Amino acid sequence: MLRDEYSNTIRSTLSLLSRHPAFLGALIGILAACSQALLISAGGPEAYGFCVACHTRDMVNGITNIVAHTDLALAAISKNSLLPVLSVAGVLIGGYIASTFHREHKIRKGTKKEYFIYFIAGVLVLNLAMIFGGCPYRAALRTGYGDLTAVLFIVAMAAGVILGAYLMLKKAEKEAV
Amino acid sequence: MATGILPKEAAVFFVPLVTLLLGLLIGYLAQRSGYCSIGGFRDYFLFRHTRLLSGYLTLIVAAFVGYLIFWFLTPAAMEHFFWAFTSGPATPIPGAPGGLNTVAYLIFSVIPGFLVGFIAVLLGGCPIRQTVMASEGNYKAAWFFIGMCAGSILFAALVSGWVVALMKALGFGV
Repeated sequence: MLRDEYSNTIRSTLSLLSRHPAFLGALIGILAACSQALLISAGGPEAYGFCVACHTRDMVNGITNIVAHTDLALAAISKNSLLPVLSVAGVLIGGYIASTFHREHKIRKGTKKEYFIYFIAGVLVLNLAMIFGGCPYRAALRTGYGDLTAVLFIVAMAAGVILGAYLMLKKAEKEAV
Repeated sequence: MATGILPKEAAVFFVPLVTLLLGLLIGYLAQRSGYCSIGGFRDYFLFRHTRLLSGYLTLIVAAFVGYLIFWFLTPAAMEHFFWAFTSGPATPIPGAPGGLNTVAYLIFSVIPGFLVGFIAVLLGGCPIRQTVMASEGNYKAAWFFIGMCAGSILFAALVSGWVVALMKALGFGV
Protein backbone atom coordinates (compact mmCIF):
# COMPACT_ATOMS: atom_id res chain seq x y z
CA MET A 1 0.00 0.00 0.00
CA LEU A 2 2.68 2.42 1.09
CA ARG A 3 4.75 1.50 -1.94
CA ASP A 4 1.84 2.27 -4.25
CA GLU A 5 1.43 5.62 -2.64
CA TYR A 6 5.11 6.38 -3.14
CA SER A 7 5.05 5.36 -6.77
CA ASN A 8 1.89 7.42 -7.30
CA THR A 9 3.57 10.46 -5.78
CA ILE A 10 6.63 9.97 -7.96
CA ARG A 11 4.47 9.52 -11.04
CA SER A 12 2.34 12.60 -10.42
CA THR A 13 5.43 14.69 -9.64
CA LEU A 14 7.06 13.57 -12.89
CA SER A 15 3.91 14.30 -14.86
CA LEU A 16 3.66 17.74 -13.25
CA LEU A 17 7.33 18.45 -13.99
CA SER A 18 7.09 17.29 -17.60
CA ARG A 19 4.22 19.71 -18.15
CA HIS A 20 5.98 22.73 -16.66
CA PRO A 21 7.89 24.96 -19.12
CA ALA A 22 10.52 25.87 -16.51
CA PHE A 23 11.59 22.22 -16.28
CA LEU A 24 12.14 22.05 -20.04
CA GLY A 25 13.96 25.39 -19.97
CA ALA A 26 16.38 24.09 -17.33
CA LEU A 27 16.83 20.85 -19.27
CA ILE A 28 17.62 22.58 -22.60
CA GLY A 29 20.17 24.85 -20.92
CA ILE A 30 22.04 22.04 -19.15
CA LEU A 31 21.87 19.60 -22.10
CA ALA A 32 23.04 22.25 -24.58
CA ALA A 33 26.13 22.81 -22.45
CA CYS A 34 26.57 19.04 -22.13
CA SER A 35 26.35 18.51 -25.90
CA GLN A 36 28.92 21.26 -26.50
CA ALA A 37 31.29 19.61 -24.01
CA LEU A 38 30.84 16.30 -25.83
CA LEU A 39 30.87 17.37 -29.47
CA ILE A 40 32.81 20.63 -29.88
CA SER A 41 35.80 18.77 -31.40
CA ALA A 42 33.70 18.24 -34.53
CA GLY A 43 33.68 22.01 -35.12
CA GLY A 44 32.23 25.33 -33.95
CA PRO A 45 30.50 27.60 -33.35
CA GLU A 46 30.19 27.79 -29.59
CA ALA A 47 26.82 27.99 -27.76
CA TYR A 48 25.26 25.96 -30.58
CA GLY A 49 23.62 23.21 -28.51
CA PHE A 50 20.05 23.85 -29.61
CA CYS A 51 18.55 26.26 -32.12
CA VAL A 52 15.49 25.77 -34.26
CA ALA A 53 16.48 28.17 -37.05
CA CYS A 54 20.18 27.28 -37.34
CA HIS A 55 19.64 23.56 -36.97
CA THR A 56 16.88 23.63 -39.62
CA ARG A 57 19.28 25.47 -41.90
CA ASP A 58 22.05 22.93 -41.22
CA MET A 59 19.75 19.95 -41.68
CA VAL A 60 18.18 21.18 -44.94
CA ASN A 61 21.38 22.56 -46.48
CA GLY A 62 23.49 19.62 -45.30
CA ILE A 63 21.16 17.04 -46.77
CA THR A 64 20.78 19.11 -49.97
CA ASN A 65 24.56 19.22 -50.24
CA ILE A 66 24.78 15.44 -49.89
CA VAL A 67 21.90 14.66 -52.27
CA ALA A 68 22.38 17.32 -54.95
CA HIS A 69 26.18 17.88 -54.57
CA THR A 70 25.67 21.61 -53.94
CA ASP A 71 27.84 23.76 -51.68
CA LEU A 72 25.35 25.65 -49.51
CA ALA A 73 26.77 27.33 -46.39
CA LEU A 74 26.32 25.62 -43.02
CA ALA A 75 27.98 25.56 -39.62
CA ALA A 76 31.34 23.80 -39.25
CA ILE A 77 29.95 21.20 -36.84
CA SER A 78 27.48 20.01 -39.51
CA LYS A 79 29.93 20.34 -42.38
CA ASN A 80 32.53 18.10 -40.72
CA SER A 81 30.09 15.49 -39.46
CA LEU A 82 28.77 12.36 -41.10
CA LEU A 83 25.29 13.91 -41.20
CA PRO A 84 24.29 17.46 -40.18
CA VAL A 85 22.70 18.14 -36.77
CA LEU A 86 19.29 16.48 -36.63
CA SER A 87 17.73 18.07 -33.56
CA VAL A 88 14.81 19.63 -35.51
CA ALA A 89 13.92 16.22 -36.96
CA GLY A 90 14.05 15.02 -33.35
CA VAL A 91 11.67 17.79 -32.25
CA LEU A 92 9.21 16.82 -35.00
CA ILE A 93 9.31 13.12 -34.09
CA GLY A 94 9.24 13.83 -30.34
CA GLY A 95 6.24 16.13 -30.70
CA TYR A 96 4.48 13.53 -32.85
CA ILE A 97 5.12 10.76 -30.30
CA ALA A 98 3.94 12.92 -27.39
CA SER A 99 0.77 14.09 -29.16
CA THR A 100 -0.16 10.58 -30.38
CA PHE A 101 0.60 9.00 -27.02
CA HIS A 102 -1.63 11.49 -25.17
CA ARG A 103 -4.35 11.49 -27.86
CA GLU A 104 -3.79 15.13 -28.75
CA HIS A 105 -2.86 14.56 -32.38
CA LYS A 106 -5.53 16.24 -34.47
CA ILE A 107 -5.49 17.39 -38.08
CA ARG A 108 -6.28 21.09 -38.20
CA LYS A 109 -6.62 22.53 -41.67
CA GLY A 110 -6.62 26.14 -42.81
CA THR A 111 -7.37 28.01 -46.01
CA LYS A 112 -4.97 28.29 -48.96
CA LYS A 113 -4.45 31.96 -48.11
CA GLU A 114 -3.42 31.09 -44.55
CA TYR A 115 -1.01 28.43 -45.82
CA PHE A 116 0.57 31.04 -48.10
CA ILE A 117 0.90 33.56 -45.26
CA TYR A 118 2.47 30.98 -42.96
CA PHE A 119 4.87 29.86 -45.71
CA ILE A 120 6.06 33.42 -46.36
CA ALA A 121 6.32 34.04 -42.61
CA GLY A 122 8.46 30.91 -42.28
CA VAL A 123 10.83 32.14 -44.99
CA LEU A 124 11.00 35.59 -43.37
CA VAL A 125 11.52 34.36 -39.80
CA LEU A 126 14.29 31.97 -40.83
CA ASN A 127 16.13 34.62 -42.84
CA LEU A 128 15.82 37.22 -40.09
CA ALA A 129 16.95 34.72 -37.46
CA MET A 130 19.93 33.70 -39.59
CA ILE A 131 20.96 37.34 -40.09
CA PHE A 132 21.24 37.56 -36.31
CA GLY A 133 22.70 34.05 -36.16
CA GLY A 134 20.09 32.25 -34.08
CA CYS A 135 16.47 31.85 -33.10
CA PRO A 136 15.17 32.91 -29.64
CA TYR A 137 16.64 29.71 -28.16
CA ARG A 138 20.15 30.21 -29.39
CA ALA A 139 19.83 33.84 -28.28
CA ALA A 140 19.16 32.52 -24.77
CA LEU A 141 22.10 30.12 -24.98
CA ARG A 142 24.36 32.90 -26.24
CA THR A 143 23.22 35.13 -23.39
CA GLY A 144 24.14 32.37 -20.96
CA TYR A 145 27.51 32.04 -22.70
CA GLY A 146 28.16 35.74 -22.16
CA ASP A 147 27.31 37.31 -25.54
CA LEU A 148 25.83 40.76 -24.87
CA THR A 149 24.53 41.26 -28.43
CA ALA A 150 22.14 38.36 -27.74
CA VAL A 151 20.72 40.30 -24.77
CA LEU A 152 19.99 43.10 -27.22
CA PHE A 153 18.20 40.60 -29.50
CA ILE A 154 16.01 39.36 -26.63
CA VAL A 155 15.08 42.92 -25.58
CA ALA A 156 14.25 43.85 -29.19
CA MET A 157 12.23 40.63 -29.54
CA ALA A 158 10.24 41.45 -26.40
CA ALA A 159 9.54 44.93 -27.83
CA GLY A 160 8.35 43.37 -31.10
CA VAL A 161 6.12 40.95 -29.21
CA ILE A 162 4.60 43.77 -27.16
CA LEU A 163 3.84 45.81 -30.29
CA GLY A 164 2.29 42.77 -32.02
CA ALA A 165 0.25 41.81 -28.96
CA TYR A 166 -0.91 45.42 -28.56
CA LEU A 167 -2.11 45.51 -32.18
CA MET A 168 -3.91 42.17 -31.68
CA LEU A 169 -5.56 43.55 -28.54
CA LYS A 170 -6.73 46.71 -30.38
CA LYS A 171 -8.10 44.61 -33.22
CA ALA A 172 -9.98 42.32 -30.82
CA GLU A 173 -11.46 45.35 -29.01
CA LYS A 174 -12.58 46.87 -32.31
CA GLU A 175 -14.29 43.61 -33.31
CA ALA A 176 -16.00 43.30 -29.91
CA VAL A 177 -17.65 46.74 -30.19
CA MET B 1 40.65 24.98 -31.66
CA ALA B 2 38.32 23.80 -28.95
CA THR B 3 38.44 20.14 -27.99
CA GLY B 4 35.58 18.35 -26.32
CA ILE B 5 35.32 15.09 -24.39
CA LEU B 6 35.06 13.01 -27.59
CA PRO B 7 37.99 13.13 -30.04
CA LYS B 8 37.22 14.53 -33.48
CA GLU B 9 36.93 11.14 -35.21
CA ALA B 10 34.26 10.01 -32.71
CA ALA B 11 32.52 13.39 -32.50
CA VAL B 12 31.78 13.60 -36.24
CA PHE B 13 30.05 10.24 -35.91
CA PHE B 14 28.06 11.14 -32.79
CA VAL B 15 26.86 14.63 -33.86
CA PRO B 16 23.71 13.43 -35.71
CA LEU B 17 22.93 10.82 -33.07
CA VAL B 18 23.29 13.04 -29.99
CA THR B 19 21.41 15.97 -31.54
CA LEU B 20 18.61 13.65 -32.69
CA LEU B 21 18.16 12.27 -29.17
CA LEU B 22 18.33 15.77 -27.67
CA GLY B 23 15.69 16.91 -30.18
CA LEU B 24 13.43 13.95 -29.37
CA LEU B 25 13.50 14.78 -25.66
CA ILE B 26 12.94 18.50 -26.25
CA GLY B 27 10.14 17.84 -28.74
CA TYR B 28 8.37 15.46 -26.37
CA LEU B 29 8.53 17.85 -23.41
CA ALA B 30 7.73 20.91 -25.56
CA GLN B 31 4.53 19.20 -26.69
CA ARG B 32 3.58 18.39 -23.09
CA SER B 33 4.29 21.87 -21.73
CA GLY B 34 3.34 24.10 -24.68
CA TYR B 35 6.81 25.65 -24.45
CA CYS B 36 7.13 28.93 -26.33
CA SER B 37 9.47 31.89 -25.92
CA ILE B 38 7.35 34.43 -27.82
CA GLY B 39 4.22 33.18 -26.03
CA GLY B 40 5.92 33.84 -22.70
CA PHE B 41 6.37 37.54 -23.40
CA ARG B 42 2.89 37.75 -24.99
CA ASP B 43 1.09 36.11 -22.06
CA TYR B 44 2.94 38.27 -19.59
CA PHE B 45 2.09 41.45 -21.48
CA LEU B 46 -1.59 40.60 -22.11
CA PHE B 47 -2.61 38.62 -19.00
CA ARG B 48 0.33 38.86 -16.55
CA HIS B 49 0.68 35.06 -16.80
CA THR B 50 4.21 34.00 -15.91
CA ARG B 51 4.04 30.27 -16.69
CA LEU B 52 5.54 30.31 -20.19
CA LEU B 53 7.83 33.24 -19.45
CA SER B 54 9.33 31.28 -16.56
CA GLY B 55 10.35 28.60 -19.09
CA TYR B 56 12.31 31.07 -21.21
CA LEU B 57 13.93 32.86 -18.29
CA THR B 58 14.90 29.52 -16.75
CA LEU B 59 16.54 28.59 -20.05
CA ILE B 60 18.80 31.66 -19.89
CA VAL B 61 19.80 30.98 -16.28
CA ALA B 62 20.23 27.23 -16.87
CA ALA B 63 22.37 27.87 -19.94
CA PHE B 64 24.69 30.07 -17.84
CA VAL B 65 24.83 27.50 -15.04
CA GLY B 66 25.36 24.62 -17.49
CA TYR B 67 28.17 26.36 -19.35
CA LEU B 68 29.73 27.39 -16.02
CA ILE B 69 29.68 23.78 -14.74
CA PHE B 70 31.20 22.40 -17.94
CA TRP B 71 33.71 25.25 -18.00
CA PHE B 72 34.99 23.90 -14.67
CA LEU B 73 34.83 20.26 -15.80
CA THR B 74 36.12 20.56 -19.38
CA PRO B 75 37.69 24.01 -19.85
CA ALA B 76 39.04 23.03 -23.31
CA ALA B 77 35.49 22.63 -24.67
CA MET B 78 34.37 26.06 -23.39
CA GLU B 79 37.20 27.98 -25.02
CA HIS B 80 35.66 31.47 -24.88
CA PHE B 81 33.48 31.30 -21.79
CA PHE B 82 32.55 33.99 -20.57
CA TRP B 83 32.37 35.54 -24.04
CA ALA B 84 32.07 39.20 -23.02
CA PHE B 85 35.33 38.96 -20.99
CA THR B 86 37.34 36.86 -23.44
CA SER B 87 36.26 38.40 -26.75
CA GLY B 88 35.02 41.90 -25.97
CA PRO B 89 31.55 43.04 -24.92
CA ALA B 90 30.21 44.02 -28.36
CA THR B 91 31.37 41.08 -30.50
CA PRO B 92 28.83 38.38 -31.30
CA ILE B 93 29.45 34.60 -31.16
CA PRO B 94 29.95 33.52 -34.81
CA GLY B 95 26.84 32.41 -36.67
CA ALA B 96 25.78 35.57 -38.49
CA PRO B 97 27.32 36.41 -41.91
CA GLY B 98 30.97 37.39 -41.42
CA GLY B 99 33.19 40.26 -42.52
CA LEU B 100 31.34 43.20 -40.96
CA ASN B 101 32.12 45.57 -38.10
CA THR B 102 30.68 45.84 -34.60
CA VAL B 103 27.98 48.37 -35.43
CA ALA B 104 26.63 46.06 -38.15
CA TYR B 105 26.25 43.22 -35.65
CA LEU B 106 24.44 45.50 -33.21
CA ILE B 107 22.02 46.39 -36.04
CA PHE B 108 21.76 42.66 -36.83
CA SER B 109 20.66 42.06 -33.24
CA VAL B 110 18.08 44.80 -32.91
CA ILE B 111 16.22 44.82 -36.25
CA PRO B 112 15.87 41.03 -36.77
CA GLY B 113 15.02 40.62 -33.08
CA PHE B 114 12.20 43.13 -33.30
CA LEU B 115 10.83 41.68 -36.54
CA VAL B 116 11.08 38.05 -35.40
CA GLY B 117 9.14 38.94 -32.25
CA PHE B 118 6.55 40.90 -34.22
CA ILE B 119 5.95 38.27 -36.92
CA ALA B 120 5.99 35.33 -34.53
CA VAL B 121 3.45 36.85 -32.12
CA LEU B 122 1.03 37.51 -35.00
CA LEU B 123 1.35 33.83 -36.02
CA GLY B 124 0.86 32.66 -32.44
CA GLY B 125 4.19 31.06 -31.68
CA CYS B 126 7.97 31.02 -31.94
CA PRO B 127 9.76 28.57 -34.30
CA ILE B 128 9.80 25.67 -31.82
CA ARG B 129 6.10 26.06 -31.03
CA GLN B 130 5.32 26.06 -34.77
CA THR B 131 7.43 22.93 -35.28
CA VAL B 132 5.68 21.14 -32.42
CA MET B 133 2.24 22.26 -33.67
CA ALA B 134 3.17 20.91 -37.10
CA SER B 135 3.92 17.54 -35.52
CA GLU B 136 0.54 17.72 -33.75
CA GLY B 137 -1.21 17.88 -37.11
CA ASN B 138 -1.62 21.63 -37.62
CA TYR B 139 -1.31 22.23 -41.37
CA LYS B 140 -0.70 25.98 -41.02
CA ALA B 141 2.28 25.35 -38.75
CA ALA B 142 3.48 22.67 -41.16
CA TRP B 143 3.52 25.28 -43.94
CA PHE B 144 5.51 27.54 -41.61
CA PHE B 145 8.06 24.74 -41.22
CA ILE B 146 8.19 24.18 -45.00
CA GLY B 147 8.76 27.92 -45.32
CA MET B 148 11.69 27.66 -42.91
CA CYS B 149 13.17 24.83 -45.01
CA ALA B 150 12.79 26.84 -48.22
CA GLY B 151 14.14 29.91 -46.44
CA SER B 152 17.31 28.10 -45.39
CA ILE B 153 18.26 27.35 -48.99
CA LEU B 154 17.25 30.87 -50.04
CA PHE B 155 19.38 32.35 -47.23
CA ALA B 156 22.48 30.35 -48.11
CA ALA B 157 22.11 30.89 -51.87
CA LEU B 158 21.09 34.56 -52.00
CA VAL B 159 20.08 36.50 -48.89
CA SER B 160 23.30 36.23 -46.87
CA GLY B 161 25.25 37.59 -49.85
CA TRP B 162 22.77 40.42 -50.34
CA VAL B 163 22.84 41.41 -46.67
CA VAL B 164 26.66 41.49 -46.55
CA ALA B 165 26.82 43.49 -49.80
CA LEU B 166 24.21 45.94 -48.52
CA MET B 167 25.98 46.47 -45.19
CA LYS B 168 29.34 46.91 -46.96
CA ALA B 169 27.78 49.45 -49.34
CA LEU B 170 26.46 51.34 -46.31
CA GLY B 171 30.00 51.46 -44.89
CA PHE B 172 29.84 48.77 -42.20
CA GLY B 173 32.53 46.53 -43.71
CA VAL B 174 35.75 45.71 -41.87
